[in-house]
Amino acid sequence: MSANDTHPPHPAGRKLRVGAGMARYLGAFRSPRGMIGGGLLLVMMFAALLAPVLFPGGVDLQTRDNFQPPTFAHPFGTDEYGRDIFVRCIYALRVSLSLVLVAVPFAMALGILMGLSGAVSRRLGEICQRIFDIILGFPSLVLGICIVVAIGAGWLALAITILVFSLPQFGRLARGALLTEQNREYVLAARVLGVPKRRIMTRHILPNTLDPLLVQASLSMIAGIFAEAALSIVGLGIQPPTPSLGTLLNVGIRYVYAQPMYTAGPIIMLLLLALAFNLIADALNAAVLKAKRA
Amino acid sequence: MTKDDLLSVRDLTVEFGPDRAPLRVLHEISFDVARGRILGIVGESGSGKSMTAKAVMGMLPEGGRIAGGEIRLADRNLVGLDAPQLRRLRGRDLAMVFQDPQAALNPVKTIGWQIEEALTVHGMSARDARSRALDLLRQVGIPDPETRIDEYPHQFSGGMRQRVVIAIALANSAPLIIADEPTTALDVTIQAQVLRLLVELRERLGVTVVMITHDMGVVAELCDDVIVMYGGRVVERGAVGDIFAAPQHPYTRALLRSMPQVAGDRLARLPAIPGATPDLAHLPPGCAFHPRCGLAEEVCRRTVPALAPIPDRPQSEAACHVAQREGRLPPEPMREVEANAARARRPSPAPILELQDLRVDFGSRRRLLRREPPFYAVDGVSLQLFPGETIGLVGESGCGKTTVSRAIVGVNPLSDGRIRVDGQDVTAFDAAATRHVRQTVQYVFQDPYASLNPRLTIRQILSEALEQRGLPAGEREAECVRLMEMVGLDRGYLDRYPRAFSGGQRQRIGIARALAVEPRVLICDEPVSALDVSIQAQVINILADLRDRLDLALLFIAHDLAVVRHLSDRVAVMYLGRIVEEGPAEEVYARPRHPYTAALMSSTPRPEPDPGAMARKSVLRGDPPDPRNPPSGCRFRTRCPIGPLVHPERRICIESDPALRGEGRHRAACHFSDEVTRPAEESTT
Repeated sequence: MSANDTHPPHPAGRKLRVGAGMARYLGAFRSPRGMIGGGLLLVMMFAALLAPVLFPGGVDLQTRDNFQPPTFAHPFGTDEYGRDIFVRCIYALRVSLSLVLVAVPFAMALGILMGLSGAVSRRLGEICQRIFDIILGFPSLVLGICIVVAIGAGWLALAITILVFSLPQFGRLARGALLTEQNREYVLAARVLGVPKRRIMTRHILPNTLDPLLVQASLSMIAGIFAEAALSIVGLGIQPPTPSLGTLLNVGIRYVYAQPMYTAGPIIMLLLLALAFNLIADALNAAVLKAKRA
Repeated sequence: MTKDDLLSVRDLTVEFGPDRAPLRVLHEISFDVARGRILGIVGESGSGKSMTAKAVMGMLPEGGRIAGGEIRLADRNLVGLDAPQLRRLRGRDLAMVFQDPQAALNPVKTIGWQIEEALTVHGMSARDARSRALDLLRQVGIPDPETRIDEYPHQFSGGMRQRVVIAIALANSAPLIIADEPTTALDVTIQAQVLRLLVELRERLGVTVVMITHDMGVVAELCDDVIVMYGGRVVERGAVGDIFAAPQHPYTRALLRSMPQVAGDRLARLPAIPGATPDLAHLPPGCAFHPRCGLAEEVCRRTVPALAPIPDRPQSEAACHVAQREGRLPPEPMREVEANAARARRPSPAPILELQDLRVDFGSRRRLLRREPPFYAVDGVSLQLFPGETIGLVGESGCGKTTVSRAIVGVNPLSDGRIRVDGQDVTAFDAAATRHVRQTVQYVFQDPYASLNPRLTIRQILSEALEQRGLPAGEREAECVRLMEMVGLDRGYLDRYPRAFSGGQRQRIGIARALAVEPRVLICDEPVSALDVSIQAQVINILADLRDRLDLALLFIAHDLAVVRHLSDRVAVMYLGRIVEEGPAEEVYARPRHPYTAALMSSTPRPEPDPGAMARKSVLRGDPPDPRNPPSGCRFRTRCPIGPLVHPERRICIESDPALRGEGRHRAACHFSDEVTRPAEESTT
């Protein structure tokens, strides 16, 4: 054939061996923002995970003096029973991180399912959207109270609360992406070829909707961590004596003059977590936009 | 710069990026425009033509800067002026018409306000501005300007909006108007109206126009002088007549040859330019055109040719080593041109695809309190496509041609009519019928950038299609390679992602994907309209080759009459959801029997300079009516040059809807089809 084309394609296509999708998300952690955020999160996750190894005395190990000011041995000082506040904060991270790292991925998966359900049946999709409207109509605190009343305070109630109120964000993003993607020509091309509906969903639509969903996941983590704190402060979340950032604040506020670090410590942890997830969300967003422009 | 020159650009160089490693996108551009002339700047995407216009306007995008040269408007050098000085100049001394009239007007302000603003910012009082605005609307041919001046852009059609944009450009009687692809977003009949307006304005007001376009036909009809750009440089400069008669740069010549023609001989095969347009960031060394040039020599690969007069042709200047040495551009060395594989036209009595009275409606969705009346985007279309045959389906945007094609493959649900594929009735689109359609009919999409999933490699894309054909996994690899070779792509590209490919290459991949299921009918929905002219011919040739080799039936949808003519055995012309004329391609083009077909043909710009052609053309008035509310009787009567508009006594056009009829296979839906002017007669009278 005389039209044989030897013009080489742009070299950019070569490097992406991992799969274009994964590469761009991993690329986010190569930017300064992504590195700092990811590093910070990694350190906190390891500290939380290895807390029993790092602090074998556990959360209830008492020292001689209560309300000690911060020292090298006790960076956040000690509480009213002489327990190390820093150690209690690290253990509290276990609660916060385990909650969001379980609840948010579940919310994301369920949200995607509900959001994409409109492709299966128009009515089902509409029903899911109305469910999201109802959830968004409740203030999250009220929603939390309802769930706690229904199943009793504790980790599970918190996890469900976080799942339920982060659901609408994912569901709406997924539906929006579905509505734009399903009329794109490559989706039509797959339909004309006879590719089954489920394959079109998982292979063509879902990967192309993932960008905003991942950024949202990172932001939902922050919301979840704060929700735990808010509910636990008012006594509806984690119950003492288990330390969580919320329960620590609950008690700490009573001793704010005797031991300022009792309040400041958990707040520092909250801020560090928020900072880490925010930086990651930012880096993901930038990476996604950059990939889109290329 | 002579006294007559209004604009003179000398050695204009534009760079982007950091100072230490600049990216040069324009290289020493020079041209002059004499007062009252129309200069065409032609080039394909990435040639730098729009960048040149932006540099002259002082509106380079962020990061761009003029690194050298001068731009003289009358006696002022515009290079080095600061922002406020440029602002005072723009609108008053030079004005711009943009490509997309939709985006060029502010949707929340009346058009009167927008024209008046152009006047008041340069110091006119509000009352004077109002009367001047009315005046301008009249000049650009907006009917009933007193009412329309207070309307908003969304109340205007695309062509009318472009007239408003032109009115704004004329507002301060700027002596120079720069028009950046002003008709590219418009349909051909509307394009003809706007082009004619520009010609009239030049005659009446003596404005000077710089016209940026990719369309050689527009240049031939409108411009006096032309510069051809390629790879950020001017490669040829001269008067329109000279350049079209005897191009002196190989690129210009190849470009003119590779365009399908709406008139004249139909070539068996288009002489395509091989390769792709270069990326300004990765220009080849030496002459940027050398990798695609049949005449390229050693010197072309090493040194960049300067623009210089050609000894034997003193009126032209071209940047070509070979032409400058030889005295004129030598003829192209014969490339082996294979004749089309003899098309084995077996007489086949049974159509492979048959549409019967197809209707597709939109908008009959139920709202809360009322049911919206349905409107038919396709209203009774019947068509038969025989094996190995090509039907060209032509029409302007919104006529329903894409809707028809998507209904055939089951993407748009039918509201009425029947579809038969290879003898089997598939109207119901149940599981069995759907499977039958998928195996028989495939689709090539318009936009090569949207039709490939960006997350999949070419191998994955093709394998998915092969899987649908039921090919076992082990045999897919060999078949992928075969498909790639079929469309002229290297098998080494299989593991790359779509973004690594150019538009033409992507379109080939789209064709390969469609052919993977071994269909017998290929529906091509504007497959080349998004491609550069030099790439179009490649894709058209591939389609023609594959059709002949695989005995495919082609339903080729396009708005470009020339492309359709080149490929089709039969042509069907659509207007407002109906087929208004249908017949063998040669007959329809030689003797159209519907006034709409004749108007389409006469509106299509031809790449043959012919001063005065514009004045003789029959240009359709008005815009296509709203398909929600089609006119009674003949749907074309509101724009028809032989209908009740000019012959008020012809009540029949208003009262009765003409049916498709005629002798033999050539049929038209017109009550007065004997009066349709042939384009050939038109140009001799």
